Amino acid sequence: MAGPELLLDSSIRLWVVLPIVFITFFVGIIRHYVTQLLQSDKKVDLEQVSDSQVLLRSRILRENGKYIPRQSFAMRKHYFNDAETGFFKTVKRKVVPKNPMTDTSMLTDMMKGNLTNVLPMIVIGGWINWAFSGFVITKVPFPLTLRFKPMLQRGIDLLSLDASWVSSASWYFLNVFGLRSMYSLILGQDNAADQSRVMQEQMTGAAMAMPPDPNKAFKSEWEALEIVEHKWALENVEEELISRDLNFGNLFSQDAKSAMF
Amino acid sequence: MASVSEMYDVGWEEMRDKLRKWREDNCRNSEQIVDVGEELIGEHSSKLGDDIWIIYEQVMIAALDCSRDDLALVSLAETFQGRWFVLENPRVSVETCLQELRKQFPDSHRVKRLSGMRLEALERYDEANKHYDTILQDDPTNTAARKRKISILKAQGKSAEAIRELNEYLEQFVGDQEAWHELSELYINEHDYGKAAFCLEELMMTNPHNHLYCEQYAEVKYTQGGLENLELSRKYFAQALRLNNRNMRALFGLYMSASHIAASPKVSAKVKKDNMKYAAWAATQINRAYKMAGRGTKENKCSVKAVEEMLESMQINIS
Repeated sequence: MAGPELLLDSSIRLWVVLPIVFITFFVGIIRHYVTQLLQSDKKVDLEQVSDSQVLLRSRILRENGKYIPRQSFAMRKHYFNDAETGFFKTVKRKVVPKNPMTDTSMLTDMMKGNLTNVLPMIVIGGWINWAFSGFVITKVPFPLTLRFKPMLQRGIDLLSLDASWVSSASWYFLNVFGLRSMYSLILGQDNAADQSRVMQEQMTGAAMAMPPDPNKAFKSEWEALEIVEHKWALENVEEELISRDLNFGNLFSQDAKSAMF
Repeated sequence: MASVSEMYDVGWEEMRDKLRKWREDNCRNSEQIVDVGEELIGEHSSKLGDDIWIIYEQVMIAALDCSRDDLALVSLAETFQGRWFVLENPRVSVETCLQELRKQFPDSHRVKRLSGMRLEALERYDEANKHYDTILQDDPTNTAARKRKISILKAQGKSAEAIRELNEYLEQFVGDQEAWHELSELYINEHDYGKAAFCLEELMMTNPHNHLYCEQYAEVKYTQGGLENLELSRKYFAQALRLNNRNMRALFGLYMSASHIAASPKVSAKVKKDNMKYAAWAATQINRAYKMAGRGTKENKCSVKAVEEMLESMQINIS
């Protein structure tokens, strides 16, 4: 049911749409700088660094082992995987489960994260709801079902109004996600104003650091290394090389490169 | 003395960009860095903004390399907000750079490491060691300080201890490629070719497309000797050539290892035939290369003949 096209007062555009954009934008930038100020130094544990590098080496061995001789590969595989003396079998790390409630550093980090991200969103969302309620702002260009009406049309109880017409709160949320690319333009990549990235991080959890369980990581690496076979990449290298003349290209260019510039 | 900008007709932005390029490529052209950096700091420091700190670091390390560490400081002119200054005498020395960095970043480990390096340059090794120990007490994961301590040992000539320390370092930081390469060099100096080969294998695994590591590995294997190692070295010389057709050293290496195997009495006829084929191919390529080099010059004929004679003399004959 295509409702009649509404004609909105143009002062809505001037006094509602644009201010919301500016507010969202500047709050984002302020959030970025505040986060930078409040950031605490991450203390890295020597053992963690060492473990992550060992796992990296084992992975490289799996992937690029074909470039070293068979004997060397076997030697390294033995070092890692041997039943009695292998690294992955003998080294067990004490795993201290990081309880978010008791671990002080993680607690303060969580609090800071909440403070800088969630609080402004709630405050501003509420203020916009209060200040700009009772009228529709804009129309989204695609048709929506009736289910969206209570969500997007807060404060407007018109049964016959098309669900595409949205109120200021939804325009605010649209801005929060939409201005992400603007932030990366102005603040550079990896900025703290990017809320959706923070939410993503909270979902995936501590995917980067080893702490969750180095033992598990070792075990899975052991399994992966067990099944790898050594297929030497240099088996027929001479034949391939000899099959055609070498390409000497610009080996003997006449002018030597000038000293500095 | 003409300034860099006059000699090459470049502006300060180009000089700054050139310094950045050298920084990123990790070039060790210290004399050039000192010349360019000196002028940049002396004349254009106010235009550089925050870049100046990293340029200070770069110039200081280059100055240490050129032994410009005991140049006298001539008077400082006004300090502007305590950060920017104008030198009356544009000669910048290690002392100036270090002073400015210390003023700006008083508690930084990075700057402490630079002061340690200066002490090393003055051969005050004990003080330098103490310096690095304080950094390590504060932050046990600081790799830079540990590497400097190992290089102190190397500078003092205690290569056995240096090797031991480097081994311990690598046990913890297995991924540090610079360190693996340094260790392989130390082993080669000690003539421990087996262990040097191990280090180079690590490097080859992490950088499979780098023809220089392949070639160095092949050379080590060739030096070790023995039929198996010669075969390996021939294969790796070939690999290096495949990765980079213009590696002349690998081409010569291929020729030598192939002819060496062919001349060995213990090989089967088939292996001998194959290796002579490889050696002959390598010889043709070498000739081709020298012909291309001498193209258009009168000495062409002479140099080609010289190459042929050289190849003949390199033939390994069964004694």
